[in-house]
Amino acid sequence: MIPSDHFVKFYSEVFKYLQKQGPEAIKEYYDTIAEHQKTHCLKQFEEKSLAGMKEYWDRIIIEENCDADALLTDKSYTFYMHGCPSLGKVLDNDAGVCDIYCDHCPGWVLPVMSASNHYCVYDLIGKDIPRCILKAFKNRCDAEVYLEKVKKRHPEHPELVKCNF
Amino acid sequence: MKPEEMRYCSTGEVHLDFHGSTYVGLKYLLDHFGMEAVDEVLSSTAEKVYKSIYERLQRGDSSELICHWRYYLEREKCDFTLTENPDGTAVLELRECPALRQLAKENINDRPLICHATDKMNQVWCANSPFEIVVEHLEKGCRQTLRRK
Repeated sequence: MIPSDHFVKFYSEVFKYLQKQGPEAIKEYYDTIAEHQKTHCLKQFEEKSLAGMKEYWDRIIIEENCDADALLTDKSYTFYMHGCPSLGKVLDNDAGVCDIYCDHCPGWVLPVMSASNHYCVYDLIGKDIPRCILKAFKNRCDAEVYLEKVKKRHPEHPELVKCNF
Repeated sequence: MKPEEMRYCSTGEVHLDFHGSTYVGLKYLLDHFGMEAVDEVLSSTAEKVYKSIYERLQRGDSSELICHWRYYLEREKCDFTLTENPDGTAVLELRECPALRQLAKENINDRPLICHATDKMNQVWCANSPFEIVVEHLEKGCRQTLRRK
């Protein structure tokens, strides 16, 4: 039995396997978890928009012991992950972290954002740093302006910037 | 061995629903890539993630595996008995497996795949070591006998 405490270390090995199978295998997996996650939060995002996101992730912050906070305005919802418990545990790992580990988060979040008609930008900050910023907008123009700012933060690492538009 | 001497000594809240997540990961691999994929991932988990347990067993030292069993089963509030012997052998009687218990709550009843994960990891840990682990299935758990080959 893999202890529940060690799930994320196992999960990182799953991603290493999928990565070896190629980008299509990874995309198919993200699509699968996105479909599953839609059952948890799509209705909330559709019905309550940005406030629904805050409601959803405020609960996750508590349930998953995240060091995180969020900012809700009329135009955007921003989730600041200061200490990701998932990547934190994976980094403490003799097998080493899978370099696409962080991608599984935008991998399911972005399709759910698209399905609920929101525009979302992820700044993954660093693949071995357990921090990230998710910012969701109602308006595409606002999202595009923010995307350019995030791109400027990572001129050498475009893979750290993810969006759904 | 004391828990704090193990390579991993998790503390804080236990999220038992991660047993469900582990199962979903295994099932996805099985359905999309077959049992070879399941075994490849379990093998790398046993050998690389649990490198410390693996390498100790190769050297004839079962202390970290036994400590790992006791520590994590206690964290998961499992009904079990672990009898250790001076020669490094042990018998773990798991009257109710926490993974099976949790998955049953989530209406997942796929014991063969869940138990396969245990069997495969035990097999990898013990290959080329002086140990073997014999697993006997019980109604809600199993008896794992760690013995010298």
